[in-house]
Amino acid sequence: MAAVIDLKDVSIGYGADAPPVLAGVTLAIERGSFVAIVGPSGVGKSTLLRVVAGLHSARSGYVDIHAPERPDRRPVALVFQDARLMPWRRVQKNVEFGLEGLPIPKPARAERAASALRLVHLDGYGGRWPYELSGGQRQRVGIARALAVEPDILLMDEPFGALDAITRRNLQEELRRIHQDTGKTVLFVTHDIEEAVHLADRILLLGGTSPARIVRDFPNTPGSEGHAFHEQVNQVRGGLADNYSI
Amino acid sequence: MTPQRAVLLSALGVAVFLGLWEAMARSGFVPAGLLPSPSAVPPAFLAEVKRGMWQAMVLSSLSHYLKGLVIGSLLGIAFGAAAALWPVWDALQAWVVRMLRPIPSIAWIPFAIIWFGVSEQAASFLIALTVFWINYFASYAAVQGIDKDLIELGEAFGQGGLIPRVFKIILPAAMPGILSGLRAGLGQGWMTVVAAELFGITGVGMRMQDASGMLATNIVVLYMVTIAVLYGVSDFIFMRVQGRVLAWRR
Repeated sequence: MAAVIDLKDVSIGYGADAPPVLAGVTLAIERGSFVAIVGPSGVGKSTLLRVVAGLHSARSGYVDIHAPERPDRRPVALVFQDARLMPWRRVQKNVEFGLEGLPIPKPARAERAASALRLVHLDGYGGRWPYELSGGQRQRVGIARALAVEPDILLMDEPFGALDAITRRNLQEELRRIHQDTGKTVLFVTHDIEEAVHLADRILLLGGTSPARIVRDFPNTPGSEGHAFHEQVNQVRGGLADNYSI
Repeated sequence: MTPQRAVLLSALGVAVFLGLWEAMARSGFVPAGLLPSPSAVPPAFLAEVKRGMWQAMVLSSLSHYLKGLVIGSLLGIAFGAAAALWPVWDALQAWVVRMLRPIPSIAWIPFAIIWFGVSEQAASFLIALTVFWINYFASYAAVQGIDKDLIELGEAFGQGGLIPRVFKIILPAAMPGILSGLRAGLGQGWMTVVAAELFGITGVGMRMQDASGMLATNIVVLYMVTIAVLYGVSDFIFMRVQGRVLAWRR
């Protein structure tokens, strides 16, 4: 299968004189796959995601996104840990935000936003203000906003990290369903190894001595049942402990 | 406390205040020329309205006020927001601001008269100056204080250009602070109206000055009350509008 995200020997840092945070990152992510990035706090997981999103430039190396050009969509969309809704926009308008600036007539824009809200089971919530939503609902709106631009690649930066356990589990199941239904490529940052094993079909472990790099690449069968799940969790945990130097 | 009880208590407070004032004026403890009784104000109001004086003075003041308020607020918001957005511009004008800010608007009266004459433009200029600084600093703080993550959100969803960044993210996010500045300017603007008109520009300030020269203190009080009522009405309307604009706040 073709790679949709291609990173070659990428080095990432903040400031010209500061040492790089990540170095030698070479990675090919296949279309439709669900890849989790795990690693200790501060290792550069979110930074790597921002480089793929185009929000931060790589210091060296190449970052290629192979997504077909279409004027009415954005190839990459980001879901943040804190939902990051604009409090002055109602839910519907928050979801439409990414569509503004694209050549889409207003009624079609509204329909795409409504359809994305249906996908995250929030139909009927378009007229509410963000403050009227629970934490889980706000995060769903963040996901709907990303889905509305019909991206090939969904970048998710610890999207369920701030939620309670039950809401987190519900949203994990919804994300699995959305991934199966839409076939989008998902790059998912998490510090929760069980979450990574539950959702992803590939798990990348960032770590090692500074600058960090990809130290392990685990193939994975998503799911949270049985012996295989626990064995995989232990394997990733072991890999994390072996490379914990941050 | 219930809202009804709060209104009743406020009304009681005003009644006690007016009662004490009336009693003091009638007791002869203070000469009537120095402090008119509240009951002397309504007849003065009727007389002024009958002569058409009250309407003319209020309309004239409102005209200075609104022109100064609009110009000063718009410029203050634009300059304050620009300084908060662009560090180079901020640095360039920082010391100019420090030098000009402490000069009270009324200190500009000689220049206002030299530049514009004893005219409506001079009054509007002084009001605009007062309102400008209030809005400048309110907008500066509001724009500097916005959540920078929202800027990143704009960039992530293709809204990182200057126009969408300013109009879709920065101004809406800074709106509560900007509106606070507008509201403060609304009150301060009235103070400058009176100060500017004391120098002979037609309006309530000029009428107060004339009346005080004739020891017609009931007319002075009438126009003081007029300003209070005009401010109260404008502030009430502003709060209603603000409530709608900021309906998104909890």
